[in-house]
This record gives sequence, C-alpha cells and structure tokens, in this order.
Amino acid sequence: MIKLFIRYLNLIVITIFTLIFLSFLLPFMFPGDLLSNISGIVPQTNEQRLALEHAYKLDQSIFHQFGFYIESLLNGNWGVSLADQATLYNEVRIAFPATLELVCYALVVSIVIGIPVGFMSGLKNHNPIDFSVVTFSMVGYSFPVFWLALIFITIFCLQLEWLPISGRVDLLFDIPVDTGFLIIDIARSSIENKHQAYMDALQHSILPTASVAIVTTALFVRFTRRSIMDVMNKDYIVAAKSRGFTQSQIFFKHGLKNALLPILPILALQISTLITNVMIIETIFSWPGIGRWLIQAIYQQDYPAIRIGMLVVSLFVMSMTITIEFITRAIDPARERAESAAL
Amino acid sequence: MALLEIKNLTLFIDTGNATVKALEKVNLVLNEGEILALVGESGSGKSLIVRCIIGAIPDYWSIKADRITYAGQDLLNMSYEQRRQIMRREIAVVFQEPTSSLDPSVTIGEQLEESIPDELISKGWFWQKNKQRRQIAISLIHKIGIKEHQKYLSAYPHEIPKDVSQKIMIAMALASEPKILIADDSTRGMESTTKIQILRLLLKLNKTKNLAILFVSHDLLAITSVAHSMTVLYCGQTVESGRVKSLLKRPLHPYTKALLDSAPSFQVSLPTKSPLVALEGTIPTLQHLPAGCRLGPRCPNARKECVQVPAPRAIQDHTYSCHFPLHLPEKLSHQAQRISKGIGGDE
Amino acid sequence: MQRFNLYQEEYHPSPLVNIWLEFRRSHIALSGFVLLVLFLIITVFAPLLAPYSPELQNTNAILLPPSWEPNGTIAHLLGTDGLGRDVFSRLLYACRTTFGSSLVIVAISVFIGVGVGALAGVLSGLRSSIVNHLFDSIMSIPTLLIAIVMVAILGTGLFNAMMAITLALIPQFVHQTRTYVRNELQKDYVLLDRLDGASSRRIFIFSILPGMVELIVVQATIALSVAIIDISALGFLSLGAQEPTIELGASLSLALDVAYVAPWLIILPGMCIFLMILSINVVGEGLRSALRNRLHH
Repeated sequence: MIKLFIRYLNLIVITIFTLIFLSFLLPFMFPGDLLSNISGIVPQTNEQRLALEHAYKLDQSIFHQFGFYIESLLNGNWGVSLADQATLYNEVRIAFPATLELVCYALVVSIVIGIPVGFMSGLKNHNPIDFSVVTFSMVGYSFPVFWLALIFITIFCLQLEWLPISGRVDLLFDIPVDTGFLIIDIARSSIENKHQAYMDALQHSILPTASVAIVTTALFVRFTRRSIMDVMNKDYIVAAKSRGFTQSQIFFKHGLKNALLPILPILALQISTLITNVMIIETIFSWPGIGRWLIQAIYQQDYPAIRIGMLVVSLFVMSMTITIEFITRAIDPARERAESAAL
Repeated sequence: MALLEIKNLTLFIDTGNATVKALEKVNLVLNEGEILALVGESGSGKSLIVRCIIGAIPDYWSIKADRITYAGQDLLNMSYEQRRQIMRREIAVVFQEPTSSLDPSVTIGEQLEESIPDELISKGWFWQKNKQRRQIAISLIHKIGIKEHQKYLSAYPHEIPKDVSQKIMIAMALASEPKILIADDSTRGMESTTKIQILRLLLKLNKTKNLAILFVSHDLLAITSVAHSMTVLYCGQTVESGRVKSLLKRPLHPYTKALLDSAPSFQVSLPTKSPLVALEGTIPTLQHLPAGCRLGPRCPNARKECVQVPAPRAIQDHTYSCHFPLHLPEKLSHQAQRISKGIGGDE
Repeated sequence: MQRFNLYQEEYHPSPLVNIWLEFRRSHIALSGFVLLVLFLIITVFAPLLAPYSPELQNTNAILLPPSWEPNGTIAHLLGTDGLGRDVFSRLLYACRTTFGSSLVIVAISVFIGVGVGALAGVLSGLRSSIVNHLFDSIMSIPTLLIAIVMVAILGTGLFNAMMAITLALIPQFVHQTRTYVRNELQKDYVLLDRLDGASSRRIFIFSILPGMVELIVVQATIALSVAIIDISALGFLSLGAQEPTIELGASLSLALDVAYVAPWLIILPGMCIFLMILSINVVGEGLRSALRNRLHH
C-alpha cells in the first residue's frame, strides 16, 4: 500500500515536472519576441530591455532560467498579461474556480443521473426501458456541445425568455470575489438578498450545466450499463444466486463494487473531455472561467497568459486522473496484483 | 424417499442460428442421505443439469420438464421467493471453478459470513450478531479442515490457493446447513491428495449429517469410492442409472460398458499388452447431434431401431435407455418394465 | 441467402463475413451505416453534387429561408446565407471538409499509434515505462488545450487544427495496442513462434496484428467521432478552418451574427455534425455488439 502510494507520488511529481518543463519551453516556440513572451512586457527602451533580461535571467544559462521559472511559479509571481498588463496569478485565481464550479455541477449531475440509470438499464436489459435509455444515451453523446448550447439558447433564452443568456450571476448583485466559488462567495458576502442571489446564480448555471452534462451523462450511462451487464454474467453472481441471496443483496454486495471498479479509470479519463466541453461552453455563455479566458488570450495572442493557463489546466486534469487511478488501485484488491505482475 | 427428482428434463439452447437440445429427457433421482454420482465426459451436459436445478438460466436457454421437484415441491412452478428460500436453506452448490465463483472484491471471511442465514444467529445487538457470525465462520473453516482461519478469512480470493478456495466453497455451501449438496466437478484438476481430502470430507458429511450429495464428475475412480448410486450421461441423454455396484458389475448400456472399459483400474483381469478398449469416433458437437439414441453412430451394437429415442426401462432400481442392452437376452429386455410410456418411445 | 440446405454441413462464414451477418441483423446499425456511406459519398463527390459554387453570392437573394418556408424558393433548397450564398452547396462542401479531414486525422493516428503501441508493447523495462507514462499523460490532456497551444505556436488554420487533434488521438491507439500486444505476448502461440525463431517484428505483423484489426477498427470509429467533434469545435471557436475554407463548425459560428433572423443557418450545420457523429456511433456500436455476439456463440 505504501509502496503503491510512493509509486503514484513519484508519477505525479514526474508528471508535474514534465508539464512545468514543457510550459517553460513554450515561449521559445511562440512567435514574436522571447522577452515579451516570458515577461508580458514590451520593452520601450534598450535599458529597459536589458533590465528585464537581467530580471528574468535571460542573460544566464538555460538552467538558471528554468530554476528562476520554477521559483517564480512557486512564489505566485506568474507574470503579467501581454494584452492588459493584468497580474496572471489573480486572473487565474478568479477564472479557475469558475471553471471548477461548472465542472463540479456537470459531474454531480452526470454521476447522480448517469450511474443509477446505467445500472437500472443494465440490470433490466432488453426491455423497453433499457432500449429507450440506450437510444437516449446514443443520441446524447452524439451531440456536439456547442450546437446543443446554441439550441438551448435559441429555445430557452431567445424564444421563451426563461433563462439568462450569459454570465454567472446578474451584475446587480455586487458580490466580491473571494474564493472564486460563487456559492461560497455569496454566503460570505454582505449583500442583503442572498436568497435571490442564489436563485439568480442557479438560473445562470442551468443551461451551461445542462449542455455539458447531457453529453457526460450519456457517456456515464453507457459505461455503467455495459459494466454491470458484464458483471451480472460472472460466475460469482451465479454462485451468489445459487446461494439464494436476494436480488438487492446480490446487487449491492457483489454487483455494485465489481461493476464500478473497472469503469472508474475510464470515467476519470472523461474528465479531459469534460474540461474541453466546459471550455467551449464557457465561451458561448460568457462564463468567466479559464476556458473563455484562454480562448480570449489566443485571440489577443497573449502568450504569457496561454502559458500559465495551459499549465494550470493540464496540471489539474493530470493530477485528477492520477489521483483517481491511485484510489481505484488502492481499493481494488484484485487489480493491484494483476498490475504488479505485469510490471 | 426421493429428495430431488428430475423427470424428462429437456433444455433448449438458442445458438443464434438454430435451437439445439442440449439436454434431452434427462431423468435423475436423488434420495435422502444418498450420494449420487452424475457421470459423463466433458460436454455431456452435467453442468447444464446443475444449472437447471439451481435455476441459473440465461435468456437464450429454455427448459421443458415433466417435473423438477425438491421434497415433493415443484421447483419449476413456484414463485421466485419460494425458490429463493429453498436455495437459501435446503440446496447448496459447489461450483467447478472455485476462483471465479468467489467475488474478487470481497474478503473470504465476509463472503462466508454472508452465506450464514439469519435464522442460525440468535437474537442480540448487531455487534453480538457479527461476533456470532465470525464464530460460525471460523468453526466452518475448521470443519472443512483448514486450521489457519486468521490467514484465510481476511484474504481476498485471488490470494489463496485453488484447493483452499474449493474447500472454502464447500464451507460456504455448508453454512446454511443444507439437505442437498451439489458438487459440480469439485475435484477437477486437483492433486490426488487434496482430491482425497475433499472426498473424505464429503463422505464424512454424508455419514454424520445425513447430507444428500449430487456428485458431478467424470472421475470414475473417485465416484466408485464414495457414491452409492450413479447416473451416466452421454451427450445430454441419461443412458443408465442404478446402484454403483450393479452398474459396475453388469453395465447394461454399451456406453457405460465402454466408459468402464476405458479405465484400466476397473478391469479385473486385463491381460498384459492387450489393447485398451475405446469407442470409435468422438462426441458429436451440439450442432450435429444424431437422431434418436445419441450414441447411435458410435455404438457397436447399433441397429436401425436406434434412430428412435429408447424409452427408459427399469429392472429393479437399475434403469437404462437402450434398445439392445448388453448382458440381457433380447426377450428379457422387452419384458423389462417400461417406466415411461409414449414419449419418444417406439409405440 | 439460400433457404434450403441439402447438405448436413453447416455454413461456417469467415470471421469478417460473420461480423457482417451479425451487424446486418440490427436495423438501426444498418441505417447508421447507410447514413455513413451517404456522408462518404458527399465527401468524395461534393463538387458534383453541389448545385452552385459555394462562393457564388446571389445578391438578389440574401438570407432566403429554406424552400419549405412560405417565402423560400426551390432554386435555393436550403435557403441562402447573409451574403446570398447557397446553403445547400456550402453544407456539402463543409461536410466534405469536416468529414474528410477527420478521416485523414484518424488514418494518421491509427498508423502512428499502432506503430508506437507495438513498440511500447515489445519494449520492457525503463524504456517502456517512459513511453507508457508519457502517452498516458498526454491522453489525459484535454484536446482543446493541445489545440490552443498548437494554434499559439503555429497560428490558426485547418492544417494546424488537424495536427493538434492527431496529436491528441494518437495516445489512445498507443494505449490499446500496447495492452493488446502485452496480453498476446504472454500467450502460448507467440511462444511457439518465438521458439521457431521468429523475430519480434515478424510476430507482431503475422501473429498479433491480424487479431487486432477488429479492435482497431472499433477504436477508430470512436476516434472518428471525436475527431469530427473536435474539428468542428475548433472551427466554431475560429481556431481551426479559416475563410475561405468551408467547415461545419466555422459555418455555425458565421451564422451566429444572423441567428435572430436566420435560425436555419444554425440548425442545419449543427444537424449535419450531429447526424455524422450519430451515424458513426451507431455503426461503431453495431460493430462492437456484432463482435461480442460472434465471440459469444
């Protein structure tokens, strides 16, 4: 167990290091002036240029530069945006929680709906309910997210005018950004009508969440359904039936865990798809998250921002994936042996 | 008295293109306190019979039977809940593959405790109950001849050797104190010492607890040493059944004879360098079953009547299904009492 | 198919024929297949099928609704866009770009992915560990992120978008091939080959690859649908195909400006993408269940 933990810790450290190294190399590959790509400042005079080069250790060897880069990353000294000279650390600190919030909403919806529905349909396979669930999930995960979002906007915002079209919360509510998570921020703010603010935030989040969650839910349904169908045909389920256990006893004690364990890593891989979808959705609904921020950055060719944004998002996805893999490995007794035998 | 009785069980399997009769008119009687051996080569449908008894039938199977009864209760026409109760308390099964029949994600101890029915636990708070369960599990483990219960109860199925998991399976089967134990080829592929241990265990249970055992195997030597009576299966048809002694002494069906001849240990006087007797040909596949008596094409005594399915006939408690039985003059064989009339017979 | 069979011998179809027979049993899968073939035909013959040039601007008919609307004309089957260009012709060309480039992407990813995967499967020790972890890591980076970085370095354009998506798709083929090769290498038939003196390359090409083809095809259908989504998403965000290249996602984003007056300009390209992905998923699912059924019997 400890050995396993160390192995995964090792993996995480190496991955983080690789990602940081890659992001360190990026400014060298971006077009334009290396100095402004790194610092986010376009030097006006020659003296200023020399001073900046000295500050970013560009006059020293590449190892010093890398060391300086890691140091400033750890210090929270992430540089400034090329476009508007905003401090990147602050920008990311505001934008990233917004993305995370949307990811969480979508994940919660997908898990709460997708997994039970998948189980239900897999247990009762080949009946009308199962058939409609399969059809729904097939259609659901064939939707291009951006189109779905546009259709939702057309129907619910433009035609019916039920829901707001963009943003996280109405600007009338003056909510100071503190943690970046709106739910917590509203709770900690000093505005009077918190209840209304919550309702407003909820209305704003329905459409973005729905657009992302439909695709993810459909995927979850498919994976769970397949998995439980496979497990229910296993010998040990037949053996459990022969021992006269009740259906629910068989499902909860033997079916559930065995069906969920193999799909956990697959579901973890979907986080990457989920993040991509969330980033697209953010641009459509003007959700002030990191995806919209990154895409704005690319329109403005704001290279320091792209570098930091890319680093933050990939670090997040990577550590999530590895952590879930570690958890699966840790709680699955059979897998540990199979994997160590292969290595 | 017959504890478990199967009469004319036919099993249809849908293979996608066609429906095949994997079992055809199988008859089986297991009496109280008896060890009945179900013998047949691999692929003769032994495990299918077991699955029919326990009711673990996939969608693409369908069964037709005159009756499958447990102690007079019809297993086929009872409610799911009734059947579940019987499976819970009365009938226990030990499967072929012990490692895949144990849930890989739950410890042995937990699985063992789970199979102890609530009725066996006296009243108390849940921690007292849990303690009792643990006690019973440990005593079960001891009963089947494993002393290091600590080591195995907290282990996962993949961590223990195969013979131990087979014994654990037996322990789990015994946990509900059943009347019938169905051992589906439990000694297959085992070393002879463990095999003997398990056979002894079964025999002891039979003697001390009056446990009826349906012992499914192709291991003739093991069967003859423990079983009281046996039923021989060929290609999904029961060919002969009766007391082990009388079957060994005077097999009436050509297949039984061939089966016994193929095992040299049953030959009382096998001269040196004499050829070992074996039937010509191989077992037909499910898609190409011959009509009538399925031994037909391979049978040394086959005649044209054999394209009809022979009806089972009985001489005392020795039943056989053959038009031209061995050791019996033809006249006598026709006098033998018909126990089943009309169905597939040559009337 | 013949109904009567004089001989007792059963008809034993080859694995491929068997898959087709199983596949054909599902009507849904079959209709998905027909739709997919239709898209393939459009991809190849778009210039022949299109009634107008996609660039032709008919200034007399701007924002014409589809022909079934009261003021639509049959001359422009699906109406016209803000510059008076025929939507139907543009859709055909757009399908061509999206579907065609996705096919190319998948073909390249399969080729590279299987090659590297085979290598990673045969390798052992530190080298394999490095290759494996590297690709597993790339697999979990979101496609859009890779695309953003690529676009930042190389600039926007269909080709750069295609490169980014290829890069994102390769790891899954590597992963699958590696796992498969690893498993097969443990089996006895490979040992037999090895005892006969076959080299690793020979074993891979002649013993392992044939069994893997089906797996790869199924994986490729999944990859194809992902590629279509990604290509059109990048087009939609204007990071992919740029004017004058016509692409489904890009046409969708062009239509955003006139969404109020011409909703069909949003509905139609999106519908095309949706149908494309749906047909591929249906076919992929059909293939998978056909494979499963074949192994089952």
